[in-house]
Amino acid sequence: MPLQFRPILEQWPYLLGGAWLSLEMAALAFACGMLIGLVCAALLQLGPPYLRRLITAYVTFATNTPQLVQIYFLFFGLPEVGVILPPLAAALVGMTFNAGAYLCEILRAGMLSVRSAELEAADVLGFSRIQVLRYVMIPHVMKVMFPSLSNQFIIMTLGTSMASVFGVEELTGRTMSLGAETYLSVEAFIVAAGLYLTISLVATFMLIVYGRVIYRIKARML
Amino acid sequence: MSHRSRVLLLAACALLAAADAAARTLEDIIASKRIVVGVNPNLPPLGLYDAKNQIDGFDVAIARKIADALGVSLDIVPVGPSDRIPFLLADKIDVAAGGMTRTADRLRVIDFTHPVNTEVMGILTTADKPYRQLNQLDDPSVRLVQVRGTTPVKFIKDKLPKAQVLLLDNYPDAVRAIAQGRADALIDVLDFVLVYTKNYSTKWRVVDAPIEVGYDCLGIKKGNTALTQRLNKEIAVLHTNGLIAASWLKWFGHPMLYDPTAQAPVAVSQ
Repeated sequence: MPLQFRPILEQWPYLLGGAWLSLEMAALAFACGMLIGLVCAALLQLGPPYLRRLITAYVTFATNTPQLVQIYFLFFGLPEVGVILPPLAAALVGMTFNAGAYLCEILRAGMLSVRSAELEAADVLGFSRIQVLRYVMIPHVMKVMFPSLSNQFIIMTLGTSMASVFGVEELTGRTMSLGAETYLSVEAFIVAAGLYLTISLVATFMLIVYGRVIYRIKARML
Repeated sequence: MSHRSRVLLLAACALLAAADAAARTLEDIIASKRIVVGVNPNLPPLGLYDAKNQIDGFDVAIARKIADALGVSLDIVPVGPSDRIPFLLADKIDVAAGGMTRTADRLRVIDFTHPVNTEVMGILTTADKPYRQLNQLDDPSVRLVQVRGTTPVKFIKDKLPKAQVLLLDNYPDAVRAIAQGRADALIDVLDFVLVYTKNYSTKWRVVDAPIEVGYDCLGIKKGNTALTQRLNKEIAVLHTNGLIAASWLKWFGHPMLYDPTAQAPVAVSQ
């Protein structure tokens, strides 16, 4: 049977709305995850031992259990103790929780790559720990780890698709609904794949431009 | 079913019927001492494969009772939703069970016995919710939970555009969403959904007025009147002696929601 794209493409604004929501979710979860990751990475380097153990436990748990399971717990587990998170909030909290752990590891690796001479210089100049973090570590980490952070953002953007399991009408959710309504699932998912590809390429391009302007990183898309 | 699919189905059925010899009559069935019944094994608990990979379920239980009453052995043939009518028309089966809802389209191609059971599209909610009628759900404060891709989703879009709809992937999760207070109600064929409510201490309630009642009958090849009449008689006996109700209770875990021998209700969706 020939593929029929017309009924799917007629719903273009509906799918585009889903793609935009996917991008928003990824951006928000990434921003919050960066905050968590930065604090955790800094505490792993400079914090007291008990906090390091606690953060290590968090990172171990979050990076060794599937994100889908984590969101499932937030969505269906928490109501058992009286906390009902709306679908979008549950997905965002789950994504942030997961991203925080991965970003912590990326940022920690970046911090470890700071040369000891720089840290000693900061020490000699009388920098406080916060100042060391602000003026020595973060500028270095952001430049060195920018490609890894960009990859993490793209992975998170594509990972938003699992939110559809919890009723979030992002791109995959809308694609499944459209496929069920039109009986043209293959066509719907081909269009969705094209949209995901477009989102990823646009995001990659913007990240490359950002990296080139802010951190003077020379990277190419292809 | 789209108009195009309907035309294709009717054309295929007509072709098969034209090419086919006469169906096995009641006399043939009794003389051969076997009746062949088509059951959909992928429609639990109407039809399913048991631990020994044999087809079992409500439809098989009813078919067994009918075979016993006719004094013949029972052969079960697995059929799917799309091939059960062609199987009947090609004489591969004598009787088609498997959720054979009586519809005007199908009546043009095959005959139906009297109803064996009903399928009720209704509203599942909890005892503390005030809903008594479908139109009460057409409100922005109402949170419905549905399974993505099922027929009621389109129905809700058309009839209850103001309600919030949460789409989940399966029935257990949809029922759980109501039990946990995440949603207020679910609209679906409740006969197949109620089994999941038993996992929760929630006080469930099915809204009395059904949205739509489907009548599941046995499908018989058109013109095989003696067989249809005899099966009608046996079905009436099974209704009267309570065997259909008992089988339903056994397989579904709750009584049939709408009595198939009662007068058809006025559908609230109309």
